[in-house]
Amino acid sequence: MGPPPVVTGISPKEGPPGTRVTIRGEFLGTSVIDLIGLKICGCDCLLSAEWKSKNKIVARSGPCKGRGDIIVTTRSGGEGTSTVQFRGYHESIGPVKESAVWVEEAAPPSLPWGRRPMSPTTYTPPDPLGLSTEGDECKFPEDELNEMFPDGSGKLSDDNFQPGWYLLEHHSNTSFEDLKAGMVFLQRKVEGQKEGQLSFLKANTGAVMDQLDRLVLLKNMYEEDQRKNGKEPLPSLQSAIEESIKLADSLFSEILSRKENADKTREALSLLMRHKFLFQLPASIDRNIRKKEYDLVVNDYTRVKNLFGNTDVKLFQKILDEIDKKIEDLKQKLYTRMKTMPIHVQEQTKYIRLLISLNWEGDAAWVAITARKDYLMSLMEKVKDHFKHKEEQETNDRGKRKSKETEGEGVWSAWRAAWCAAACGALAAELHALWPLARRYFAGELAGEPADPQRHKDLKEMIIAGVELFSEHMRSCLLSGGGAVSADTLRTRLVANLRYLREAYDSLLKLDLPSQPLSIVEKVIFDYRVHGMTVFLQRALKRVKGLADKETWKIEEFTDYGAITNLPNLLETYMNDALSAIHKCVGSAGRREGALLADGSEPAAALHRHTHQILLAYSSALNDLAFKHPDQDFNNTSLSVALDQKLEESVTQSVVDGCSWQRRLLIAAANAHYTRRVTLTNIANTFENYGFPKPSQALQAAKEALSSLESTIAETYLEHKGDPLVGTIEPSMYMGRYRTDADALVDDARPYVYEIINNLIAVHAEVDSVCGPASSRYVRDICETVCEELARLAACAPAQLARAAAFQARLEYTLLHVATAGHLTRKAERMDNIVEGFKKRMELQLASLNCNMETV
Amino acid sequence: MPRLFCCSCLVPRPAPGMSKKPAAQPTLHKVIMVGSGGVGKSALTLQFMYDEFVEDYEPTKADSYRKKVVLDGEEVQIDILDTAGQEDYAAIRDNYFRSGEGFLCVFSITEPESFDATQEFREQILRVKNDENIPFLLVGNKSDLADKRRVPLDACRERAAHWQVPYVETSAKTRDNVDKVFFDLMREIRSRKSDDSRATNGDVKRKKRRIIKCAIL
Ligand SMILES: Nc1nc2c(ncn2[C@@H]2O[C@H](COP(=O)(O)OP(=O)(O)OP(=O)(O)O)[C@@H](O)[C@H]2O)c(=O)[nH]1
Ligand SMILES: [Mg+2]
Repeated sequence: MGPPPVVTGISPKEGPPGTRVTIRGEFLGTSVIDLIGLKICGCDCLLSAEWKSKNKIVARSGPCKGRGDIIVTTRSGGEGTSTVQFRGYHESIGPVKESAVWVEEAAPPSLPWGRRPMSPTTYTPPDPLGLSTEGDECKFPEDELNEMFPDGSGKLSDDNFQPGWYLLEHHSNTSFEDLKAGMVFLQRKVEGQKEGQLSFLKANTGAVMDQLDRLVLLKNMYEEDQRKNGKEPLPSLQSAIEESIKLADSLFSEILSRKENADKTREALSLLMRHKFLFQLPASIDRNIRKKEYDLVVNDYTRVKNLFGNTDVKLFQKILDEIDKKIEDLKQKLYTRMKTMPIHVQEQTKYIRLLISLNWEGDAAWVAITARKDYLMSLMEKVKDHFKHKEEQETNDRGKRKSKETEGEGVWSAWRAAWCAAACGALAAELHALWPLARRYFAGELAGEPADPQRHKDLKEMIIAGVELFSEHMRSCLLSGGGAVSADTLRTRLVANLRYLREAYDSLLKLDLPSQPLSIVEKVIFDYRVHGMTVFLQRALKRVKGLADKETWKIEEFTDYGAITNLPNLLETYMNDALSAIHKCVGSAGRREGALLADGSEPAAALHRHTHQILLAYSSALNDLAFKHPDQDFNNTSLSVALDQKLEESVTQSVVDGCSWQRRLLIAAANAHYTRRVTLTNIANTFENYGFPKPSQALQAAKEALSSLESTIAETYLEHKGDPLVGTIEPSMYMGRYRTDADALVDDARPYVYEIINNLIAVHAEVDSVCGPASSRYVRDICETVCEELARLAACAPAQLARAAAFQARLEYTLLHVATAGHLTRKAERMDNIVEGFKKRMELQLASLNCNMETV
Repeated sequence: MPRLFCCSCLVPRPAPGMSKKPAAQPTLHKVIMVGSGGVGKSALTLQFMYDEFVEDYEPTKADSYRKKVVLDGEEVQIDILDTAGQEDYAAIRDNYFRSGEGFLCVFSITEPESFDATQEFREQILRVKNDENIPFLLVGNKSDLADKRRVPLDACRERAAHWQVPYVETSAKTRDNVDKVFFDLMREIRSRKSDDSRATNGDVKRKKRRIIKCAIL
């Protein structure tokens, strides 16, 4: 058995029944169940006891009166002791005493039947000392009195009345003189009572007589009554009482019923007051919805749900139903608003949150995301349709007024540009709304079920679908048509469209979208760039193809490679234009874009292919210029005629644009030569300057094509120039005097030699005027042809030719050799070389052989 | 003079009414805690009685505690009456003060108003007890809150010197000087009682001794 409980502290130490007291001490029990008894002033308070710790118990005092110990009993320590005491007292409820009563909530303050002051319940007898007790505020502590007079009482009427108590209680402040006076008063009173009965009667004879008379009167009346009402007066009394009760009841019932009605009315009023909020809610919801104060509506709604959510009152339920209906409408309204595009994303988020707080069944944010995506798609389509429509209108209009074709093209590309701008803007704007919304959704800010993995996939698909549509539209918008626009418009459009695309792309990059949709957009941009490049190159090709019509045959410059027209320059300019446009417009890559002309990439190959085509086209243009002349006749007769006839005649006949066909042939050759040597190098440099991959293959092919063209031209020229020349040799050789005397003195060459030389001079003049330093080739070829003819004729000569004839021939050949010394073929040069070699080797011998020759 | 009658005749009588308790009860010293609401009277009492510190404030009405302690080798009983500081209960104070043998007049050093109020408490005690030399300690509580101190130490000392009472600073939270104030007060009460028993011969001597003691402190 442990130590017994000891109570050493009580708070408070006194109070009326039901006071919450804190009991402190030692060994007050090891646990709740160890505490098995608690008595305060003898009252069992175990029921209300709250065991806090072994040092502390909280309990409520019982209906005890007076001082008493606090006895705690525990299983482990038995019955305990107490060093402190509790005093219970009953409070008399008076008019000014506060008391715990149930007060009706919001009860009207002034009720006629409210708390009426009650009359004091205790009767205080007059002071026996005849002293006034008024002003005796300073009361003597009751517990001290209790201590001093353990079994006494201060009440005059009590059996155990203790005068000391009474004096201390009522007269502790009374002066001694007063007390002495009181003593005298009391003694006088006692003296008065002690005087004899006789003297009393004597003093009051009159009164005694009077009383006797009254008694007689009473007796008479009593007897009369008995006579009148019989021995038992009670039944009649009873009936009278009953009657009066009935009357009182009837009187009261009316009052009571009125009171009841009043109570009911009051109750209804207070109910209305209390639930004013509820009753006014439908109206205030309507009002707030009208004012778009949705937050207020939501707050009110949650409040009303909390307050009256599970009420059983029919009226409340009805109102709640009404409110629910309104909220349902509101939800529908909010839902539609949230879904109706276009809507600012912030507003949309607001609606989503409202729907969430209104417990809208469904995934509001997801619906919003889907709606946004659908809107994006439809917006794209709308933009497309709009511009397609405009375009069609334009085409129809253009059909009507054909004259303004080029202008029409300009307008057409303007529509396309507007379309591109609109689509780009729409894509950027919508994704800017959709993506953050989705992000917040998946961050779990907007409820719903973002954890669903399907959602992630769906979102990705949505965004890709949107971007795909955009890309598709942009492709059909930008990558088709638009050929006939002027270069400047094309360039500005291209730059502008690229800017729109890049702006959109940039803003998507900023959004941190997944890479897949981004790469789709990037692909569009890239393709558009490639498209731009192709367009420029195609334009260049077209222009080069049209070069043939541009030829004026006007000599622009005498170069080292002959006289050229402005054709090579034009080629270079066109090529430069195209390349610089490519460089300026599409060459540079934007943020996070691939390089356009990476080595070995498709665009680079295309560039080379196109360059190839252009250069070949140039070459074939030159070819056409050289050989194809519809008004020119290339037959021999005409040529011979041309040779024979006077110059003026041939000029009038064959000169187009002030230039004969031979001249053109030669000019074309010079152009080709110049192009091959100079222009192509320039073009290659341009490629390098712009940092484009060098089109070596194309250049090589062009070179080959050009040099083969040159050869063809040279052959043709030779053919048409040499043949007639050669043809004249034979007739003129035998003209007249072929049959010379064998012994005739040969003193001069025959005239045909002069003719040959003259003809050669003419050719030389022609070629030299055009080809300059490059003319030797043509002259040499002609000379060779002439030599071959002479050799043929010599071979045909009869074997028994006379000496003179042989001499003649030898002379003529030597003369010819001398004349054409500047244009020897390689073979002829070889002979000269041999002769020179011989002379060198045999110098001494020859010198010895020739010495003293002067002297002869 | 009813006062004289009450004090000198009734109180020293050895526990007349307590028939339940064993006859050889140790001497009882009745201490009363006074001071404004919230200064820490209850906190000091509970710390002294049960070594616990109560954080939350629950206004007192009137609490009673009594336990045995050993005072300078002698077993005595201390009876502590923890009174209400709140003005609501001011009316019932007089009654309680009457039974006190010694007073701990507590204020909070963080609250100048509570310091001002000690003046009134002192006056009320002197009026009720009608004795200028009643055992009395001026206690500045909450010394742990030095950084929130708003009653200068000099002012406290000055007032105590003026009243010719000791001044002690305590902390119910850290238990600093808690035992000291109760034991110091009990010593005063004890010496006062032994004076009284001699004073039955003449009460002139008593006053003299009190003054000497104050000077020593
Ligand atoms: N920091 C600190 N707080 C204290 C100290 N003493 C009391 N308190 C706190 O002050 C508040 C009031 O303390 P009580 O002891 O209930 O005050 P009281 O003087 O008994 O107040 P009444 O009963 O109304 O007269 C409580 O929250 C205590 O925790 C102390 O020494 N230091
Ligand atoms: Mg307290």
